[in-house]
Amino acid sequence: MLPRLVPAAVLAVAGVYLFQALKLPLGSAARPGAGFYPVIVAVFACVICLVGLVRGVGFSPQAAGSDADDGDPMPALRRVAITTAALAGFCVVMPWTGYPVAAAAFVIVTLLGLGSRPWAAVTIGILGALGSHALFAGLLDVPLPRGPW
Amino acid sequence: MGPLEGLVYGFGVALTPANLSACFVGVLVGTIVGVLPGIGPVGAMALLLPSTFALHPATALIMLAGIYYGAMYGGSTTSILVNVPGEAGSVVTLLDGYQMTRRGRAGAALAIAAVGSFVAGTIGVVGIMLAANWLADLAVQFGPPEYFAITFGGILLLSRLTGGSIVHAFVMVAIGLALGTVGMDSISALRRFTFGSVQLSQGIDLVPVIMGVYGVAEVLLLAEEGITKAQIASVRLRELLPTRQEWRESAAPIARGSVVGFLTGLVPGPAAVLSTFISYTLEKKISRTPEKFGQGAVAGVAGPESANNAATAGAMVPLLSLGIPFSPATAILLGALVIHGLQPGPLMISQRPEVFWGFIASMYIGNAMLLVLNLPLVGLFVSVLRLPQHVLATLVMLLCLVGAYSLNNSFLDLWVLAIFGVFGYALRKLSVDPSPLVVALVLGPMMEKTLRQALFLTRGSVTELIARPLTASILIVTLAAFLGPPLVAFMRRRRNGRSPVAA
Repeated sequence: MLPRLVPAAVLAVAGVYLFQALKLPLGSAARPGAGFYPVIVAVFACVICLVGLVRGVGFSPQAAGSDADDGDPMPALRRVAITTAALAGFCVVMPWTGYPVAAAAFVIVTLLGLGSRPWAAVTIGILGALGSHALFAGLLDVPLPRGPW
Repeated sequence: MGPLEGLVYGFGVALTPANLSACFVGVLVGTIVGVLPGIGPVGAMALLLPSTFALHPATALIMLAGIYYGAMYGGSTTSILVNVPGEAGSVVTLLDGYQMTRRGRAGAALAIAAVGSFVAGTIGVVGIMLAANWLADLAVQFGPPEYFAITFGGILLLSRLTGGSIVHAFVMVAIGLALGTVGMDSISALRRFTFGSVQLSQGIDLVPVIMGVYGVAEVLLLAEEGITKAQIASVRLRELLPTRQEWRESAAPIARGSVVGFLTGLVPGPAAVLSTFISYTLEKKISRTPEKFGQGAVAGVAGPESANNAATAGAMVPLLSLGIPFSPATAILLGALVIHGLQPGPLMISQRPEVFWGFIASMYIGNAMLLVLNLPLVGLFVSVLRLPQHVLATLVMLLCLVGAYSLNNSFLDLWVLAIFGVFGYALRKLSVDPSPLVVALVLGPMMEKTLRQALFLTRGSVTELIARPLTASILIVTLAAFLGPPLVAFMRRRRNGRSPVAA
């Protein structure tokens, strides 16, 4: 199922892209407009996805996991899911809480999800957030958001 | 400016304190990255790209290139001592390198790998000096049609050489080309695919995409493993000296590996990885004792280790002389130059000699630094492997996030990083190489611009466009390289299929 789902999903996106590209001015062969090249790209994408679907050239998933999990992919997938959720959480909360708090929370949640001891996760989280803030905001002059405080 | 005159000028640039420090930081970070399994040179270059924005273009290029060839040195250490390749270019080294470690010759294997890498790196730099100048002279005659043919050829050939299905590669190319069209059209200034977002009208930044599909995706793969620790063999300094017999056995493979690696670097594709396989196969074929390969043959370490370093030098030739990256690592170097307002190509040598020659000279200095760093400090580098991988992975991800934000102080870049990180991870799990996407994203805008300019020049005549002698030559070579290998394989299959009947 999944091998065919991937080209089908890309085909759907390519269809939307083609629809949007056709709204742009195409121009002529001698004076190509802003839509000329995107239409070529969209047609190319649709044709490739159709070839993939018809010929059954699928995308075969590999199992997630490590030797430590004895072939059970669930703990490995859980670790990836927690890391991904922490990543998305960082993007959502940083504008509101500022960099140091978001960074510390990101490191603590990720390390706990990966199996660290709570005291180690909290220590590394606080030191990592302060260290990276000092490096980027202090040394490299990057204006990182500070939050409400 | 001739090659020797240029090199002397380049040493003047590379030996300034700022550039020397950048070179040192680059090769040091590269070595550490090479030692660590998981984070490859491309991911590390992508991670450090934002920190080079405040630097002079030459300094930024020197540091990023140092990471690239430093990782080639460092990768061999993990292959030889731990039987785990630090990065993809060191996979072949572990076949004989780890066997040498099991026989108590780990020090000799490390020393031969380091000396071989140094010699190959130096030969490669001489090759760049000669080939880049010659190619740049030729490229001065190029107009939009020729540049279109080169960008088209680069994308087409790289998609063929990444391995795996061509349909997968073309899907990646299509996504990369489509992403390259987002934002303001460079000719008509019309906004395309921005859906009303002001931030998107600047286009999708290359750096968070690269950091996502390589850096974040690799960290997510490390997260799968959870808490892991490596078993490491210890090496004493006095054990580093190879015997006279080992030196004799490694001299010719180092020379051959250097030439093979440099030539492999000149063609599109994962040159550093490909060159090690070619070198290993070559050494095994011409060896009087092929049965020793896989059992700890010195030539099996010397050849491939020289080849991967020479390939990194060879890959710089098309980048510096034509402005075309033939690999993801050189695509990041191109990205760094573009961010600094430079367009690599034939005119860069004459217009920005301090960047071009300073960079070349820094590669000599970097190779010497690596030799000094790698031999006595091998124990220190290996101790990096004792750091818990999950802690390292989390902190690397944090650096990715803050690095992506610092590009434009934009939250959009953070989301692009996160989305492409998850996308890159999914691609790895589906056994799809993301390199064609990155190359298409880098070359796509250039391909569109040159295609439209070329069509304007030829008044819309495609025949006139492809009939120009240089354009036709480039397209014929590209198509021959693209269609040649599958055609040969098809003919061979047909011949093999007939032979039993004929017999």
